Amino acid sequence: MVVEIYKEKYRGQIREVVLGATGAEGGTRSHTITVGGETTLPFLHFEGKIPNRPVVAMEVWDIVPEDWPAGLKEYFADVLNDPAAWAKKCVDVYGADLIALYFKSADPEIRDASASECVATLKKVLEAVGVPLIVYGCGNAEKDNLIIGPLAEAAEGENLLLGGAELDNYRSIAAAAMAYKHSLIAQSPIDINIAKQLNILISEMSAGLLGRIVMDPTIAALGYGLEYSYSIMERARLGALNGDKMLAMPMIGNVGHEVWNKKEAAVSASEEPGWGEQAERSMAWEAVTAMALLHSGMDILVMRHPGAVRLIKKSIDDLMKENSYATT
Amino acid sequence: MRMILIGERINGMFSDIARAISEKDPRSIQEWAKKQEAMGAAYLDLNVGPSVADRVSAMRWLVEVTQEASSLPLCLDSTDYDAIEAGLEVCKRPAMINSVPAIQEKMDRVFAMALKYDAEVIGLAMNEEGIPKDSESRIALAMELVANCDAHGIPLERLYIDPLVLPCNVGQDHGPEVFETLRQVKLLSNPPPRTTLGLSNISQGAKNRKLINRTFAVMAMACGLDSAIANVCDQELLEAVATARILLNMDIYCDSYVDVFKSQNK
Amino acid sequence: MALTGLDIFKLLPKTNCKKCGYLTCLAFAMALANGKSSVDACPELSAEARETLSSAAEPPIRSVNIGSGEKIVKVGGETELFRHDKRFNHPVAIAVAVNDNEDVEAKIDKINSLSFERVGQHYEVDMVALMNTSGDAAVFKEAAVKAAAGTDKNFILVTRDTLAMEAALQVLGPRKPLLYAADGDNYAEMTELAKAHGCALAVRAGDLHALAELTAKVIALGYRELVLDPGAQDSSRILADLTQLRRLAVRKKFRPFAYPVITFTTKEDPAEEMMQIASATAKYADIIVVRTDRAEYLLPALTLRENIYADPQKPVAVEPGLYAVGDAGEHSPVYCTTNFSLTYFLVEGEVSATRIPSYILSVDTNGTSVLTAYADNKFTAETIARAMEEYGLEQKVGHKNIVIPGAVAVLKGKLEEESGWNVIVGPREASGIQKFAKLHFS
Repeated sequence: MVVEIYKEKYRGQIREVVLGATGAEGGTRSHTITVGGETTLPFLHFEGKIPNRPVVAMEVWDIVPEDWPAGLKEYFADVLNDPAAWAKKCVDVYGADLIALYFKSADPEIRDASASECVATLKKVLEAVGVPLIVYGCGNAEKDNLIIGPLAEAAEGENLLLGGAELDNYRSIAAAAMAYKHSLIAQSPIDINIAKQLNILISEMSAGLLGRIVMDPTIAALGYGLEYSYSIMERARLGALNGDKMLAMPMIGNVGHEVWNKKEAAVSASEEPGWGEQAERSMAWEAVTAMALLHSGMDILVMRHPGAVRLIKKSIDDLMKENSYATT
Repeated sequence: MRMILIGERINGMFSDIARAISEKDPRSIQEWAKKQEAMGAAYLDLNVGPSVADRVSAMRWLVEVTQEASSLPLCLDSTDYDAIEAGLEVCKRPAMINSVPAIQEKMDRVFAMALKYDAEVIGLAMNEEGIPKDSESRIALAMELVANCDAHGIPLERLYIDPLVLPCNVGQDHGPEVFETLRQVKLLSNPPPRTTLGLSNISQGAKNRKLINRTFAVMAMACGLDSAIANVCDQELLEAVATARILLNMDIYCDSYVDVFKSQNK
Repeated sequence: MALTGLDIFKLLPKTNCKKCGYLTCLAFAMALANGKSSVDACPELSAEARETLSSAAEPPIRSVNIGSGEKIVKVGGETELFRHDKRFNHPVAIAVAVNDNEDVEAKIDKINSLSFERVGQHYEVDMVALMNTSGDAAVFKEAAVKAAAGTDKNFILVTRDTLAMEAALQVLGPRKPLLYAADGDNYAEMTELAKAHGCALAVRAGDLHALAELTAKVIALGYRELVLDPGAQDSSRILADLTQLRRLAVRKKFRPFAYPVITFTTKEDPAEEMMQIASATAKYADIIVVRTDRAEYLLPALTLRENIYADPQKPVAVEPGLYAVGDAGEHSPVYCTTNFSLTYFLVEGEVSATRIPSYILSVDTNGTSVLTAYADNKFTAETIARAMEEYGLEQKVGHKNIVIPGAVAVLKGKLEEESGWNVIVGPREASGIQKFAKLHFS
């Protein structure tokens, strides 16, 4: 019996966003990375094009992350004090496709580092690795608005992916992106309507920014509301594929940030005997969170654990294999 | 599915269009093409009007000059199938045939044309006896259109059933029947045909035309209307349609949803 | 969607013989589609057409029961491609494989121990898949005896050899295991066995076309308690096939695929296997047979199942009560919030990050968030005071200070009256808790 294979023909397409810039384009990256461009839902190669595989960024902080569980810190023990070395290790040893650099030191409650200190760190990291960079501030909106300009200017031409733009605070970052030719992350709080509205507002500042927006719907960890993010992402992806241009952006998720403050990543086997060994379990918690998000359309995963990174990259290899049906 | 709006203005019953056709002066036609496209029309309806002797060459000319000004797909509006065929021959991209009733010889002619030229077809829920009143009869005629379309091997998504509206000050009792027909059309086949109607007809000769048109449009959308031949320059109509799409959960809400809808169709 | 007018019309002889009482076949098709006539009115229908028309009233995917007793496993019955369109109905069932030529008792014990408590929920694996790895019917039967005695979980019997299946059924028949599997060679005998024992039967073929054909053959033998395996071996193909099966069943009402789907993990490494489980859980598997028995990898997988299959239309709630975060004692701060899961866990996460052992009072607001519950009169001075009493807050701490969410600051006065405690207004967002705690509790 010949089964008529069911292929969806979507009208829309996810935009492609290029991250990083090589010498020819005004930057110093060894290569650029393109995300997005899908014409169907994740990995359904039989009915559409998935021109760019999802990629993995690893976190690098400009302070020692005291709160990371010991088992996780161990992977970076020799480099935690040196963001450049840390970034290099992530790329060379752990296979990160990008580096997500967090300027936590700028937080007034931590070290209140100045813009120029942050710029110095950024330059060192840019020199240490050839992969594209994602740049986050400290999470304090007022301070971030002060450092984002200098950071963007210092890295003019590098096409960084600038984090932090939200509905209540997006102009500085969008302006920095426009002025110094960077891309930006538009973050919404697990709210698809705000996600859409923010994309519109940013594109109203400059139509040229449309091809430079990556959406962050804000993900929740496995077991802590993952399904909310998952369904928002599926709805946004379907909307985009059905022609909604204001949701047709690639997506990014801070998996590491959400997972590693959870009990399942932190507790030892002695505290929860039924849960198995912490080392494997915590890595698994991050890997499964990431895996589910791949299926709802995540294009850039920002992660911490090298084991989880390895696992997810292998899964991406597997899912990027062709799965067309022979035409009979 | 978008709410596909088919711009109605290039119709020889408007004096400027009639003049343009008789004088072979393309300017007003091209202006209206551009204007309707800017307002968000997805197709441009072309009708040579009632007072043209040589409909075949008039339609061909209309298609040619419109295509110079706009790359929107065209909706060829005539009861003269030779004129439609002449137009299809020079269309640069697949067009829509407006229209065919549920009459066998006409369906045979039109569906064959649609197959040959990759065209979409508007099918009218009427036959030799005219427009029936009750929804059951309209649906039976729609079913004939569906069965014939399918028999010719044309995908049903290319068929647009028009349940045919009468002006509300003349055939007011047809209104509820039309809504019921729209609902039931979606059950005729899987995938179902699409639906359309000539929106301005509902208010022909009545007062408050725009108010009637946009109210009817959103009510019909709630019953499954996919498209309409309408006055796309009516801002309030566009806003009502945009709002209806949000209320029907067809578009994802955002605060700027009206602006998005207007620019989306570009 | 039931069969449409056109679908029905295509099944009719199109002779317009009028025996049904309608002028044309088209008219009869319309009448049938609207439930105004019956299939029996047409004496000229082919047997196949009659069959298709009769089965059209059935759901797009059958629900199938495996096993019996309290732990009966129900799979299938799905109607959606996306959970946000409505919900997924029956959580994917996970079976852990046991080889008949290994230490069956030890493995069964391990599987029984895979029982997890987290956030007031209880997760466990649903079934044991007994594999006829030895290829020997006697060994298989022996293993079945041990397995049957060792667990009250339900079973999948995995063998293509009908003799081995029969042998195992002599032991496990009454437990109504899923029989895996009927294939192109053995389907006649396997169907007989399934019928005789009243067990669900898996049907396995090498691709979708072969699967549809084989399923049709089994149905023709009169059996419908089926589970399908499209035989895919790699992750990408599994995703594609399972997507096709779900789409064709739900969107096209393709009857040969109107059954739940079973898939097996294929990776050797247990962590990689876990990733396959995650994929299949998100995308359309109804049963997954796995080899790993490691808690580290199954707990996340079962949690993902919980998340994907959560009903989007029901607010997710935690069990209301008094929760200790860290080693909380009589000096510990007390925070008050609702029992909406998302809220609760956000608060718990932030409180945990303060590194100050604390208590969280989770008030029963029917799983709604702070502002919704406040608007709905579920999060009020009265309900909070009542919860404080119900969960024995006074016995747990030596002080009388309670922190309420900043969003409901207006409740401070009334709550102080109702409870006799001192009410501190906390931050509006959970993300403000760490800063707040530093200020107030260090």
